[in-house]
Amino acid sequence: MLKSKKNKTEHSVFSNIMYFLRLMFKLSPGLVIGDILSGTLRLLPQRLISVIGIKYIIDVVAQGENLGRIYKAVIIIALIIVLSRIAVLIYREFYWNAAKERLYFRLNKTLYEKAHLLDLESYDDPDFYNNFILTIESSSDNIQGLLGIVQSYVGNIISLAAVAAVILTIDPVCLVIILAAILLFLPLSGKIADYQMGRRIDNTKFHRRSDYFQRIFYLQDYAKEVRMNDISPLLFDRYNDAADDVIANQAKYWKKISACYCVQHIGVQALGFMLILPLYLGYQVIVNKTLSADDFVATFNGAYSIAISLNFLMVWASAVLSERAKMIEKYREFLKSDFKIKDGKNTAEITEPKTITVKNMSFTYPGNDKPTLKNINLEIKPYEKIALVGFNGAGKTTLTNLLLRLYDATDGEILIDGENIKNVTVASHRARFAAVFQDFQTFACSVGENVALDENFDSEKVCQALKHSGFTKSLKNGVDTELLREFDDDGTMLSGGEAQKIAIARAFYKGCPYVILDEPSANLDPIAEYKLNRAMTEAAEHKTVIFISHRLSTTVIADRIYVMENGEIIESGSHEELMSRGGTYAKMFTLQAKKYEA
Amino acid sequence: MRYIKLHENEKVPVFKNVIYALRLVCKADKRLLISYLISYIFDDIFVRYIQSILFLKVLLSLFDRGAEFREYVRDLLLFFAIAAATKIISWVAAYIRQVATKNVLKVLNNMVFRKAVSLDVGCYESPEFYDKYQRATLIMSAGYFDIICYDVALVVSGIVSLMLVIGTVTAISPVYLLFLLPIALVFVIEIYKSKAVYKRDLEMTGNNRTKAYIQRTVFLKDFSKDMRTSNIFSVMMKRLEKAVDGNIKILKSYGVKLFLYSIVSSLFSEFIPIIGTYAYAGYKFVKGGNMTVSGFSVVVSSISTVREATLDIAEAFDEMTQMALYFQNLKDFFDFEPSIKDGNIQAGEFESLEFRNVTFRYPSAKKNTLENISFKINRGETVAVVGINGAGKSTAVKLMLRFYDVTDGEILYNGVNIKKYTLSSLRISFATVFQDYKNFAISVYENVMCHECTDTDKQKAQTALKQAGVWKKTQSLPNGGDTVLTREFDEDGAGLSGGENQKVSTARLFASDYEIAILDEPSSALDPVAEYEMYENLIAATKGKTVIYISHRLSSAALSDRVLVIGEGKIIESGTHEELMESKGKYCEMFTLQASAYRREGGDCNA
Repeated sequence: MLKSKKNKTEHSVFSNIMYFLRLMFKLSPGLVIGDILSGTLRLLPQRLISVIGIKYIIDVVAQGENLGRIYKAVIIIALIIVLSRIAVLIYREFYWNAAKERLYFRLNKTLYEKAHLLDLESYDDPDFYNNFILTIESSSDNIQGLLGIVQSYVGNIISLAAVAAVILTIDPVCLVIILAAILLFLPLSGKIADYQMGRRIDNTKFHRRSDYFQRIFYLQDYAKEVRMNDISPLLFDRYNDAADDVIANQAKYWKKISACYCVQHIGVQALGFMLILPLYLGYQVIVNKTLSADDFVATFNGAYSIAISLNFLMVWASAVLSERAKMIEKYREFLKSDFKIKDGKNTAEITEPKTITVKNMSFTYPGNDKPTLKNINLEIKPYEKIALVGFNGAGKTTLTNLLLRLYDATDGEILIDGENIKNVTVASHRARFAAVFQDFQTFACSVGENVALDENFDSEKVCQALKHSGFTKSLKNGVDTELLREFDDDGTMLSGGEAQKIAIARAFYKGCPYVILDEPSANLDPIAEYKLNRAMTEAAEHKTVIFISHRLSTTVIADRIYVMENGEIIESGSHEELMSRGGTYAKMFTLQAKKYEA
Repeated sequence: MRYIKLHENEKVPVFKNVIYALRLVCKADKRLLISYLISYIFDDIFVRYIQSILFLKVLLSLFDRGAEFREYVRDLLLFFAIAAATKIISWVAAYIRQVATKNVLKVLNNMVFRKAVSLDVGCYESPEFYDKYQRATLIMSAGYFDIICYDVALVVSGIVSLMLVIGTVTAISPVYLLFLLPIALVFVIEIYKSKAVYKRDLEMTGNNRTKAYIQRTVFLKDFSKDMRTSNIFSVMMKRLEKAVDGNIKILKSYGVKLFLYSIVSSLFSEFIPIIGTYAYAGYKFVKGGNMTVSGFSVVVSSISTVREATLDIAEAFDEMTQMALYFQNLKDFFDFEPSIKDGNIQAGEFESLEFRNVTFRYPSAKKNTLENISFKINRGETVAVVGINGAGKSTAVKLMLRFYDVTDGEILYNGVNIKKYTLSSLRISFATVFQDYKNFAISVYENVMCHECTDTDKQKAQTALKQAGVWKKTQSLPNGGDTVLTREFDEDGAGLSGGENQKVSTARLFASDYEIAILDEPSSALDPVAEYEMYENLIAATKGKTVIYISHRLSSAALSDRVLVIGEGKIIESGTHEELMESKGKYCEMFTLQASAYRREGGDCNA
């Protein structure tokens, strides 16, 4: 999806920076304005005092001894310094920290909301995924970086103008020399930004590898496996390979970056400011005698002040800005990225179950050569209990993914009550289904929220649903008990079987006509499985149920069974029909049942 | 909130931690600190002393002496040469530093990984420990080790250049020292301030953990399906908002305290030095007579240099002390002694495994998970452990493998307490397939063999993959058995299905030389045919070996020599399948229930 966008023209640095500034301003105007003011308050007094203050005092002295005026000047300087500092500190300690936290939140929220809408296949596309993570992770850096610049930007412009005005009255040529030195070496900054960007992008790739190995040692999931198999030396090696790649990459880019910086600094600071500028000033003082030693000091201090401001504005700030602009470009790209799974015009209503028809449907995962589903045709009548069985990798889960529009079919169509599911909004379509996935997740929130998957839940209904799914663990705070320890140190940890019962309870809770269950009893003990089968038959009496199972004992109760192999439906019918046919299903069933014949 | 209690009265030895941090980093790669020091010392002396003071002083004195232009040019060229040389040195150092930093990262991570592998599995389940671990890893993941070197370099170079400038000013008049010495107090204040900031950050840890968790739920694929088919996203966003509000409250509660520290700090670093110097210099300028225009400007520009340098040092110092606190966490992590102690004898050929009156309770739990369990498994036996969910079956396995040590009673391997054996020799006697098995993002062969593979290893892996029934699939992958699993970071990586992954994990067992096989729900993700084949293969492969099965599918229990039924932490039944069916207890009830589903007739087990 992103690939199609690669040739798109990028926005200019200016456009990207303004875009993000506007965004920040919209989300937190106080912070942006406050940073501009505090940045100005920090810079301006100090810069002006070093040029005008000194000049003023020297002037006073030149006019004769006048201690009173000097003290007055010192008091004013003191007041300016103390008051501006206090103002900055009040802003920083009482407002800035909290406002920044809030701004991060607001910005991340927009990102998360967008991410939530992404197609599932975006997660399978490593390029896109890399970008996606880079965007999320750089959002706080973008804010931090831009605010840093914003803070000093206005202050520098004002002090630049003020000091330049003072110098112009003394000698305009100085300004020309300073500007020439900086502008001549400016192109190097663009190069540096490019290298930095390249380095970062390459590093992301390598870091993804090294981070993975870091996770293995960090996450509990792998702790057992790592301890039982002597696999850590191999993992260390792999980590070190990735780390060595990072080191090589770092060396490759920094060789160029350092060289550019070095040339630029020698050119601007050494050649321009320490040789040519003083050469000119000295010539005026010694040879032409048009400037006095006093003027020399004022001009020289002023010149440095301008140089620092200009250097900041045009070299440093522009390097940082153009680097930021590239990250912001990715950010905009991400926010604008299009989905394949598009909303239809209509809103699906939650009604009684209707007929689901799958017509000539084929599906190939993006990046795969072989189709996962080939020309699937089936019809599911209202209230039917449908079992999908078959070998691992036959495409059963993919079929349910397509029913939920987690992916869209490559070919063919799915109709509910004769209407193509693409004609309704994605949200309203999915609202018709309750799905328990094979790789279901429990979330770090309360039991009630985990069952209802919503914050407003009906406790009564949640308890009912848990009872149906056979969840019997006693909970200290009832449905308000927090699961997992992410938020709450006393959070309740569940075993695999208990977690699965929570997931199944979701299907019982959700009031919808269609239920999809992918291996609902995989982690359950025999008694729980038996009870679940019974409860499901009862509770799903008024629903259409599609379930995937390897345990054929559960499929016996199905109205119709579809047997899948290599992406195709090879048999279908009721248990009895299939058994009497003596095909694949009969073979599988007999294999399993045989073991129970005592 | 309890994090604070944990740390409130802890005295944090800042300097000791800084020294510890620097030692550690230098042990990893000396170049990092050295190149930082070189580039910043050269840079600071140049900018703060040579460029802003010495340069002016030399040129002005040339004017005073009425020197010739030629002499002036000669001095300028000398300064230019110094400037160019400084820049070259500092950027070469910068290059070395950028490479060295990644090398330090690599070495530190290696140290942390090695330590992590030696930790108890239980550590991962303790939030306190995990929090500490998380903060320690920030040193690597957020580059704190680099920042602390940077800070140290800034402090050192700042102090050196500060001394040069102060020396120059003092030479003009020692009175200026009166205004400059209070600057030293800034450092004392900064220590207090940074402690307050650390405490504040500590209070935010819980909220930040929430923020990180929610970010994960958004960008990890694992959560993507559930998120998309439900409203849970809005629940997560509410949680996020709550965490952010919590953080904001904490940030605000520290406002007054931090403001006061900063104001006092400014008093000593800015107000007194700048105002005092201006007042005194102005006074001398008018009254003293010996103060020239050039002398006055040198003093004034020195003051702004001193101020800037002090602020930089204070900031770096502040950051340095904060970073040092993280190194305390790392130090604690490295010093942490696993509670599972290594024994010193080698576990030999397996004869028997016995649980004798074993009771076990998880560290923070209120109830015993296992209660006075005793059983014995002899060489060559096949034992099935069955029971309802949460009965303690997996816990028993964790105890055998010494992921945890028993609370009471003992476990004997060949009649000797398992605590006496070395961990590695004990664990290598077992081959395990876990319920929550994991494969790694390495090649299929390597996943099976668990080490870098020679051709002979690959042959062996192939046989194991065939036995596990996943060789055909492996062959179809782009690079066969050399294909990396998962698309984690390789676009050509193989994304296997749950069942296929489980088979690869099982192949690991087939390929290892084990004494006892532990199979914890090995077939839960398999289709019936694959399950059947897997069992056939397991039976063949484990012939004559000792096998412990944990399974919900009682059909596999029927094949074993003995069945142990665990309920509520106790062994409630034990015997052969036939004996247990005869006694019509819990096992009989479970078996009949399961079998009835295949027979379509009611079971009878009403004993």
